Amino acid sequence: MNMSSPSTQFAPARMGIFEPFHHMSMWEDTFRGEIMPNAGAMVTPPNDRADDKSGYTSSEQLIPSGSEDNQAGKSISDKVQRRLAQNREAARKSRMRKKAYVQQLEKSNLKLAQLEMELERARQQGLYIFGSNGNAGISSTINPGIAAFEMDYSLWVEEQQKKNVELRNILQSHVSEMELQLLVETVLNHYYNLFRMKADAAKADVFYLMSGMWRTSVERFFLWIGGFKPSELINVVMPQLEPLSDQQIVKICSLRHCCQQAEDALTQGMDKLQQNLAQNILTMTTGMGSYSSQMVSSMEKLEALESFVNQADHLRHQTLQQMSLILTTRQSARGLLAFGEYLQRLRALSSLWAARPREPT
Amino acid sequence: MMQQALPYKSSCLTLTPRVHHVSSSNSSLLYVKGSKDELKNVVKDNAVIVVGQRGCCMSHVVKRLLQCLGANPAIYEIEEQDENEVVDELENIIGGDGRKETERLQLPAVFVGGELFGGLDRIMAAHITGELSPVLKKAGALWL
Repeated sequence: MNMSSPSTQFAPARMGIFEPFHHMSMWEDTFRGEIMPNAGAMVTPPNDRADDKSGYTSSEQLIPSGSEDNQAGKSISDKVQRRLAQNREAARKSRMRKKAYVQQLEKSNLKLAQLEMELERARQQGLYIFGSNGNAGISSTINPGIAAFEMDYSLWVEEQQKKNVELRNILQSHVSEMELQLLVETVLNHYYNLFRMKADAAKADVFYLMSGMWRTSVERFFLWIGGFKPSELINVVMPQLEPLSDQQIVKICSLRHCCQQAEDALTQGMDKLQQNLAQNILTMTTGMGSYSSQMVSSMEKLEALESFVNQADHLRHQTLQQMSLILTTRQSARGLLAFGEYLQRLRALSSLWAARPREPT
Repeated sequence: MMQQALPYKSSCLTLTPRVHHVSSSNSSLLYVKGSKDELKNVVKDNAVIVVGQRGCCMSHVVKRLLQCLGANPAIYEIEEQDENEVVDELENIIGGDGRKETERLQLPAVFVGGELFGGLDRIMAAHITGELSPVLKKAGALWL
């Protein structure tokens, strides 16, 4: 059915639910135009027939205009009766069809509103699972290792948020040193668990991990070899740790310096890998045999990426461990809370960014 | 002025592996060449040496990190096909001191003061904990 005014028909879902009558009258106008193009002056305008909303008002049309009066009045009346009955039947069928169509439209509108609400909820929670971030949702469901990782990671994030709340609470209350130590170790282990998960995911698809598709958009902006930069961790956390003893300050700055050196070494290693790979691809000859063996050697080079992700995570692990050794238990708790909140804010920023109003194109 | 680290304790060696200096941006790397049999001496005679496959990016990471610390490591590069032979030879050199039988030596491997220090994992960990610099200094690998 070709609607001449579709744009108002499919107005925002919210309007659609609450204004069915508006839609019905619009439908009615266009319907009349389509079905009876030749209605012309013979059609009674709807105002005159308030009780019949179908718009099918052609009963007058079929009254013969001509000179058939001299036929037996009875047969004419029979014909007329039959025609009238047929008209009523056609009108009834038309009303049924229209009713069914409108019902279907309203159902679709409801579904649309539901989907929009779900999407909004998911965005606000900052969960980007199965392609809602717009990237390769399909490929992640095909690779079982990655699908498993995505599920585990969303659980990990939930758990991390719970741990943050626990840290906040415990810092405001008076607990024994042992209890605090226990929580700090639990939170550290939670991060170490993530590195183990990532090691498995790297075997399944290292590019997925490296691209940061499993993280929110702003987190991706800060990504360094598949995760946070260890020296950045120290920068984020340091202001929250005061007061620090002079010795602690020296140790932390030295640790940060070591991190930066290690990060530079790894980054340069990645650059070298890029160079090697590019060289390999450029010098591929066109002979069939050598092409496939050169592809194989390029693939072997790509395997090094897994090592890089592992080394980067290893560095993150070491940094967290060293920090916890330099700091007191309470400082460690404050530091872990600060870092957890930092990551949460990055995720929240990503959601807000995704939901920001866009100018109509 | 930064001094060149002298790779040999004495100049009169029975074996004379070919040495050439390759200049990179800031410092020169000392590429040590020699046959498998000369490997033992090469390892013993260098304060710090990295044994790795040619073109391996992880070797590159190790090199860069050591250079960051002020060491000028000797580099012994091997071809992929020689890896097994070389690793066998290195394991002979190390002997059975404290290493598990099941762990095969992985490249890149770093030797400090003639002794096996470890691979990239060990280097990274030692660097972060701060134990790497003193070890290098003790072996005479640092010129600071």
